[in-house]
Amino acid sequence: MQKVEKRNTRNLAWIISVVMVMSVVLSACGSKEEGQVSGSSGNADDPLEVSIMTITPSAVPAADDNVIKRAIEEATNSKMNIQWVSNNIYGDKLNLTLASGDIPDLIMINDPFGSTFTKMVKQGAFWDITPYIKDYTNLSGGIPDIAWDTTKAADGNNYGIPRPRPVTGDSFFIIRKDWLDRLNLQVPETTDELFNVMEAFVEQDPDGNGTKDTTALAAYISPDDLGWGGNLGPVLGAIENSFIGTNSSWKWDESQGKLIYRELLPEVKESLQYLTKAYSRGMMPEDLLSLKLTQARELFKRNQAGIIVDKTGTMRKIYADDLKKVDPSFKYTDFYPLTNLNGYNPKGSGYNGILAIPASVPEEKMKRILQLVDTWMNPEVFEIQQFGIEGTHYEVVDGKKVASSEKLTADNASDFNHIVNVIDLPWDTTGETDEETQANELFKKVEAERDKTSVADLAAGLQSETGQKVLPELNKKIQDLKAKIILGREPIEAWDAFVETLRNDPNFQAMSDEMTEAYKKRNGQ
Amino acid sequence: MSTVKGKQTSSKKKGLNLLSALRRDRSLYLLALPGVLFFLIFKYIPMWGIIIAFQDYSPFRGIQGSEWVGLQHFTALFGNPDFALLFRNTLAISLLNLILFFPFPILISLGLNELRSVAYKRLIQTIIYMPHFLSWVIIAGLTLLLFAKGTGLVNELFTLWGWPRVDILTNPDSFWIMVTLQAMWKEAGWGTIVFLAAMASVDTQLYEAARMDGAGRLRQIWHITLPAIRSVIIVLLILRLGDIMEVGFEQIFLMYNGAVSEVAEVFDTYVYRTGIEQGDFSYSTAVGLFKSVIGLVLVVVANRLVKRMGQEGVY
Repeated sequence: MQKVEKRNTRNLAWIISVVMVMSVVLSACGSKEEGQVSGSSGNADDPLEVSIMTITPSAVPAADDNVIKRAIEEATNSKMNIQWVSNNIYGDKLNLTLASGDIPDLIMINDPFGSTFTKMVKQGAFWDITPYIKDYTNLSGGIPDIAWDTTKAADGNNYGIPRPRPVTGDSFFIIRKDWLDRLNLQVPETTDELFNVMEAFVEQDPDGNGTKDTTALAAYISPDDLGWGGNLGPVLGAIENSFIGTNSSWKWDESQGKLIYRELLPEVKESLQYLTKAYSRGMMPEDLLSLKLTQARELFKRNQAGIIVDKTGTMRKIYADDLKKVDPSFKYTDFYPLTNLNGYNPKGSGYNGILAIPASVPEEKMKRILQLVDTWMNPEVFEIQQFGIEGTHYEVVDGKKVASSEKLTADNASDFNHIVNVIDLPWDTTGETDEETQANELFKKVEAERDKTSVADLAAGLQSETGQKVLPELNKKIQDLKAKIILGREPIEAWDAFVETLRNDPNFQAMSDEMTEAYKKRNGQ
Repeated sequence: MSTVKGKQTSSKKKGLNLLSALRRDRSLYLLALPGVLFFLIFKYIPMWGIIIAFQDYSPFRGIQGSEWVGLQHFTALFGNPDFALLFRNTLAISLLNLILFFPFPILISLGLNELRSVAYKRLIQTIIYMPHFLSWVIIAGLTLLLFAKGTGLVNELFTLWGWPRVDILTNPDSFWIMVTLQAMWKEAGWGTIVFLAAMASVDTQLYEAARMDGAGRLRQIWHITLPAIRSVIIVLLILRLGDIMEVGFEQIFLMYNGAVSEVAEVFDTYVYRTGIEQGDFSYSTAVGLFKSVIGLVLVVVANRLVKRMGQEGVY
């Protein structure tokens, strides 16, 4: 009896160990196989098998058998293997993917001038698509020239298809109109007027609840926003930019005949003094440095702040619905996107990331991928992600497509804009109420008004080799110092001292010279 | 001659012994195999990756095609004006951990060990284990909710009582102690497991004998419990020294902000920023390697010292 038992346990041990060994070996192999599948290109008539990596704005990304994805695949004769990555971590994920060398056939590069991507472009890791663009009508005609121009690499070639965005839609101040009206205030047109509005939003109880519990500007400073809006990030950077009159890191100095780095400009110091004063009077959250983007947005959504910085069109989608829950009297038209401040508003660069194809993809397949994007931009294909599928997402009423935005959202329809997007088609034409129509009209009016004064980044697309090396550290130092000054931890004199050391830094001088040279070269001087 | 011959036969015998031992306990060795394979595949093979610390690594060219640059990245690291700062911060946080955090679970265990009510002891244990299962993201969020200067609960209370608001999150003076206390709150309870287990194995007759001799509670702790868990303490301390250059990336990264950067930037966050954010893979690998070498040296030295003092080391 005992002997049998012993044998049994022994057999069990054998089985367990064999299973465990197998599972370890198999799991080690599995990851390798996946990478190889995408390499096959097949016949010209077979569906194009293509792996894609891009951002998803949704918490739950589209599944592989998503109906809209299937419909797009059918229309473009493709089989897409899409890797959706959350916006919050895209930069990290992208760098890791590039480092692994196992790069998807079509990969969204959010910053075409980031150091990893530019380094790899120089080594020939991605296709130069410049000579092919003209063969595809939608790529050459449907994407604005400004987007192609601003995404050119240092050698003047395009290493990816820009994802076009309207140049008039850049992030700028949005102010609660109902708060302004309640306090009898005018729409601010200068930074000084803005200061008065902010002061009133803090002191004069704009939400009318009888207590002094509001702040003015839903601001935050995050280390993720280095290089963004003068390193202070989108919100405080927008104020700084209004002082300087540009959202560029560089400004052309006619008398010296060269580009000057923004931090050396006296306007930066002025804006720092302005922000320090505003912070000390409670015009922005006290915990400025610990807040994240979503928390800053919360302040606005919860009726606790009257000013945000964002794209004009985001009001309805991101803020208004939540705001209506807290303040039922709030209307979609109760916001006022500023058209300019000190006569300035930013002009977008016309793109949001580019779609690059690694050089490991054979030429034939590369052409088919370009064809895929081109076909996708055809109105009848693009309408799939705009309206969905007849019967499921939309009905035709009086010859017009009327879609249910709820069903479209449930099927992640607009997520596909993060692969291919056509910008001159109207954004939202689905099932609008009067209030929404009015909001859209206001939004169009604002954009037209902004177009008159918007200022483009004159250095967009220019690069300096030294800058690539020293800027990441420098940007961090700049952000830290600015944050400390705004919080009152360091006196404003610390900024003067920093600017002085910057001026004398040989690396910094080299970077300025290289940028000036690149600028002159591009402008044919 | 004869001695050499003797040695040969003994080594031959040893080989035979090993073979027969393998055959005899084959199922045991097979059971160990997955573990060995795991370490080989996921720990040892990837170690080859550190050679990119001596290259100008480009993912496109791969390890074979990348250019060799020798110790360039190391000289760049040591020449970096921020190196001293990184070193200071890492070491300071680590030492604070060693001085404040390390003895804390021992003290708790000694206290728990003295409790007579088993039910009460279990309850306390369960409560103090719990924070261990929360992720750092949640802990950082809780800290923010409690201590934020503007809206934090603690500060709201302080205002209510008429006290001045305290600034903890963006104050360079309090950063080190804050992260140490955070770590203590999260992990101290969990850390008691090992010590309690060691204490449970102490022969109760020793206590009885001591009581007969008139030793009080404190005497018993000092002369019986502590010597009994001495070897466990030493082993854990040595292992801890190996991690002295790692201060918990997640925690520091989540508590990091611009106002505390000069005290909060440690090697781990630096590796993340240069490697993942800026794509400088070779350089960040060099930094990581430097960090590991220091840890290794410390473990070896500490182990030697402990053995020389007549204690049992880690190996």
